[in-house]
Amino acid sequence: MPRLLSTALSLRRDPRLLRIPPYVSAFCIAIGVVWLLLLPLDDYSRRTYVSENALLPGQVHTYFGGSEQHIFRAFRHEVDLLADKNNYEVNDKLESILTGFGVKVGRQNYTYHSAGQIYTGENVYGILQAPRGDATEAIVLVAAWKSIDEQLNRNGIALVLTLARYFKRWSLWSKDIILLLPPDSTTGTQAWVDAYHDAHDFKHIAPLPLKSGALQGAIAIDYPHEQRYHELHIIYDGTNGQLPNLDLINSIVNIAGGQMGIETTVQQMTGHTDSYQDRLQTMLRGMLYQGLGYPTGPHSSFIPYHVDAITLQPTGEGWHDEMAMGRVVEGSFRSLNNLLEHLHQSFFFYLLMQKNRFVSIGTYLPSAMLLAANFTIMAIFLWVKSGQPTAKDVGTGKQQSDGLERKGDAAPSSWSPLTVERNLLSPLTFVAICHSISAIPLFLFNHLGINTLPLAFLIFSVTSTVLPAIFSFAAASLQKPTPQYFQLTKSFSLLILGVSLATLSTLNFSLAFLVGLLASPLTFIRPTDSAATRWFFAALLILTSPPIVILSTAWTSGVTLTEVLKAASLGWNVWGMYTPIIIWCMWWPAWLIGMTNTLSPISNI
Amino acid sequence: MRSLLSFLPLLIPSALVSATEYHEQLNLRPLPLSALLASFNFRANTSIADFEAQNFRLFPRSLGQILQYAGTRELHLRFTLGRWDAESWGTRPWDGTKEGGTGVELWAWLDAETDEEADEKWLTLTNALSGLFCASLNFIDGTRTIRPVVSFQPEGDHPNTTLANTRLLHGVLPHEVVCTENLTPFLKMLPCKGKAGIASLLDGHKLFDASFQSMAIDVRPICPSEGECVLQLEQTVDMVLDVDRSKRPHDNPIPRPPPGHDLICDTTKPYHQPDDACYPIDHLRGQDWTLSQIFGRTMKGTCPLTDDEVPPVCVHLPPTRDLFASQGAHEIRYPNNDSLRCYHIEQDKEFTLVLTKSEFPSEGGEAAPLGIVKPETPVLYADRSFTGHGQEHGGVQAILTNPGDDSVEFVYMESLPWFMRIYLHTLSARISASSPNTNSSADLIKEIYYRPALDRARGTQLELLLSIPPRCTVFLTYDFERSILRYTEYPPDANRGFDVAAAVITTLEPKAMNIRTTSLLLYLPTPDFSMPYNVIIFTSTTVALAFGGIYNIIVRRMVGANEVPRTAMKDKVAAFIQKLKGKKTAVAAAAAGGKASIEPVSGTAEAK
Repeated sequence: MPRLLSTALSLRRDPRLLRIPPYVSAFCIAIGVVWLLLLPLDDYSRRTYVSENALLPGQVHTYFGGSEQHIFRAFRHEVDLLADKNNYEVNDKLESILTGFGVKVGRQNYTYHSAGQIYTGENVYGILQAPRGDATEAIVLVAAWKSIDEQLNRNGIALVLTLARYFKRWSLWSKDIILLLPPDSTTGTQAWVDAYHDAHDFKHIAPLPLKSGALQGAIAIDYPHEQRYHELHIIYDGTNGQLPNLDLINSIVNIAGGQMGIETTVQQMTGHTDSYQDRLQTMLRGMLYQGLGYPTGPHSSFIPYHVDAITLQPTGEGWHDEMAMGRVVEGSFRSLNNLLEHLHQSFFFYLLMQKNRFVSIGTYLPSAMLLAANFTIMAIFLWVKSGQPTAKDVGTGKQQSDGLERKGDAAPSSWSPLTVERNLLSPLTFVAICHSISAIPLFLFNHLGINTLPLAFLIFSVTSTVLPAIFSFAAASLQKPTPQYFQLTKSFSLLILGVSLATLSTLNFSLAFLVGLLASPLTFIRPTDSAATRWFFAALLILTSPPIVILSTAWTSGVTLTEVLKAASLGWNVWGMYTPIIIWCMWWPAWLIGMTNTLSPISNI
Repeated sequence: MRSLLSFLPLLIPSALVSATEYHEQLNLRPLPLSALLASFNFRANTSIADFEAQNFRLFPRSLGQILQYAGTRELHLRFTLGRWDAESWGTRPWDGTKEGGTGVELWAWLDAETDEEADEKWLTLTNALSGLFCASLNFIDGTRTIRPVVSFQPEGDHPNTTLANTRLLHGVLPHEVVCTENLTPFLKMLPCKGKAGIASLLDGHKLFDASFQSMAIDVRPICPSEGECVLQLEQTVDMVLDVDRSKRPHDNPIPRPPPGHDLICDTTKPYHQPDDACYPIDHLRGQDWTLSQIFGRTMKGTCPLTDDEVPPVCVHLPPTRDLFASQGAHEIRYPNNDSLRCYHIEQDKEFTLVLTKSEFPSEGGEAAPLGIVKPETPVLYADRSFTGHGQEHGGVQAILTNPGDDSVEFVYMESLPWFMRIYLHTLSARISASSPNTNSSADLIKEIYYRPALDRARGTQLELLLSIPPRCTVFLTYDFERSILRYTEYPPDANRGFDVAAAVITTLEPKAMNIRTTSLLLYLPTPDFSMPYNVIIFTSTTVALAFGGIYNIIVRRMVGANEVPRTAMKDKVAAFIQKLKGKKTAVAAAAAGGKASIEPVSGTAEAK
């Protein structure tokens, strides 16, 4: 045992050991990616199950149908008559219909400013008081006047009105039912939910005149689809990649599939064959939406307040009609009505492979953690290396230690590791400068007007490419950069990146994974003498730079740059989306430092 | 129009208050949109002398003995479910004096010299009533009991000498669900036990299907100007029935969509087509019902013990509406109140009422809808809700609106659980900007009675004396902190939240009445014992462990044993062995020496 220990300890000094970390880093990245690709396999994903016993999905008879269809048609005619009216006229009519049923109606004005544009409107909402309840709990039924695709949510509005009238007749509600009819699917719900929790901007958003109790769940109907539909598309991504409780999705899948015979689908995967490719594609789409952190529907605004919410969107051509949709909503509300406690049993962190297959956080988290660990390992390695003498230093060091040994007969040269003093000031200053200037793009892209945004972005992209050259020139002219300087700047930058990504992966796994993957070349770049290698590194880094990634993503998905920037600004100003912070304040500085290091001429003292 | 409370004494001349007397009355009042308020009132008097001699006749013995044993001078017990919709239904029945907050509410004046004695008697009283009414009243412990200062005044006539030696205690259970097991003992206390008279209409199915229902029991001593003092037991049931819901047959209560031809449609709509599109206008239809339909059973004559002078059934309807009573009933109309009609009933005959459809549908507009008496506007609207979000801090906001032309003075009382720690310095009352006279808000709160909470011992008691100018809305807000409970203190359904009792508002000017807000559901920071939480904990632990190890390796310098200079090591080992030899026996030293030859080596290595 002591022999083994001493062998191990002596191995520590072995210079060969210091060659390992870069390979470990590369290995971590490879494992992280392979891990993710394994997840869709049967051995790693699980079938979903309803965890909360109180939900009892699909256990009740639903009676919505019959003559309710006549009323539905009448309300749809009313909606058609209002199609060309403005927001206030629409709300007047909706209010008069709702008060007719004995529903208490409130209205709320709001104004948002983003990218130089004004988003204003008036929400109308009704509270159907639980017949024997006290205003302690509520569930929300949302139908925005404009659907997610900016169409008139004709069937959705009519269905909510018909359901309100139908629900009023039942005495079994233990929770208030709030019927929220915002003018659009994006800003309206956010203003309403913020105001409900008193987290709104008092200057631009009016408080709510009527309130009920704690919100227990929300279901939004996005139903502009005109023909009979084939399946229900469940949209569940919330702002900043937060997800609703899996039990809610499971219940809907159960009610729609088991009771109504309606197919359900997630992430627009029509015709899911349950093959590996389809599962992987569903998962990657989910990760992309989660990573963007952009709200995907009217339900998204609820999730940050710990209100579980989803949007139901009928799609495809089939034989199901509006009444079937109404029965799905009725069944879901009956389930939510059963809840004794806030939804807390099932998963909040999951990746869906299919409507009934998922992986939970314990299984998928290691892949993002491994990516983050790759940076940390490299940072530690560089820190250790920066403290060791270079080949030249070792020569002088040996002489010194020989001298010492001769003098005092104490320190043997065989074990005493020589350390070089680390010059911390300039690397730290450089890293701090890079991180502090990252506030500039963050501020610019969230405060500029829509007309100047694309231009500003292009100028910024060019600047961001040129900036490293300037930095490396400035650094070279101020002080001869040593290899230690490069090691330390890279070490600090990777350390920050690794720690932030590891933290982020528990909050928004997908964003952490995507940023980690795109930033992974940063681990391997280094100042080099060879011009070819240097240009190769530079090209690789420019390809994976944040502005180029944003541009190429916009180009491949067929969205104009203006729309991307407008949406990002809206996300920041309305929904409090933190993706810009991750991109500009975490990824971009790391990239900047990496690029500067690549372009810097290496000094051979 | 007068409220219910104001006309009742009109019907009963005070001279008729005799030592032993019983009467009962049912008041029906149709409200907007298929709602119908039914107020049952049962009142029994017994002389104090009889009561003290334990000579019970109309007064239930079970309750009487409890009151005597616990030294109770005056008792008020409320079982309430649902909420009163003041905006559509107007003033509360009995001006709100006979209703409680959601759940069970109890307050009583107890004979006690000291607070400790009062607590002891209170414990006796709550436990005994808990058994009598099948309610969890025994859970009204010290943390749920308060001693109101200004909100409650005794209703009965107490001599000043006795009043000085009584204590008022008030307890409330907001989470108690009122149900049939509370109705049965309530009915048992009546002289006719729900077998005859208006009590025969009280059916658990209908009562607990009502949109709002409140059962009240009041015991108070009454001393008329002449004659002896009596102890009065008043039992009240107020319920707001949904006529459409109540009319559904007992064996088919599911509100299935009606056949298409039964729908009431707006035929003026251009798209109207039978069996295709129908814009519903059934809410404009008005009410039509029979007594047996809405209560699910017929009224079986009158209670033989009841006072014949008091008509057992009264209905509030505009004089133009047709209402038919069954044969043998005798209708009375009152000249000073034309919207009231009452019925005298023969003792053994079944009685029913038939309200036919209004003949003038939807012509009167909003003001006089559907042939009902327009509900009176209440003196004050109150609405209370939580503000803020998150698990640490929160706020309470009460919106109090005075719709009238007189300023309203009232006491606002909160009884809050100890784990909701309020910050009294954040208490503020401001007049809403939209109100006509927005003078300074400083003088809105006139007096504050505040008794701070003690952790796990008693809750917060807050009484505010406020005055609201005419036609103003006042926002009363305060902030609080959510405390973290010990993990054993969480109930099994911890994620449901904790109920906070309704605030009690007692108006003093322009007239005395009570209003209760809805109760609230308070989320406390709850430990999550579920799997994702464990995953996060394990991940964090792993990260922490990994960090510790990595940090250790980076910072500490370790060398192997063979790398340590030999001479120094040899000396130390030799010295150590010498030391051991000196202290222990030769055998022990030899054994220890074998081990020690390794340990000191690593020890020195660590030290370097």
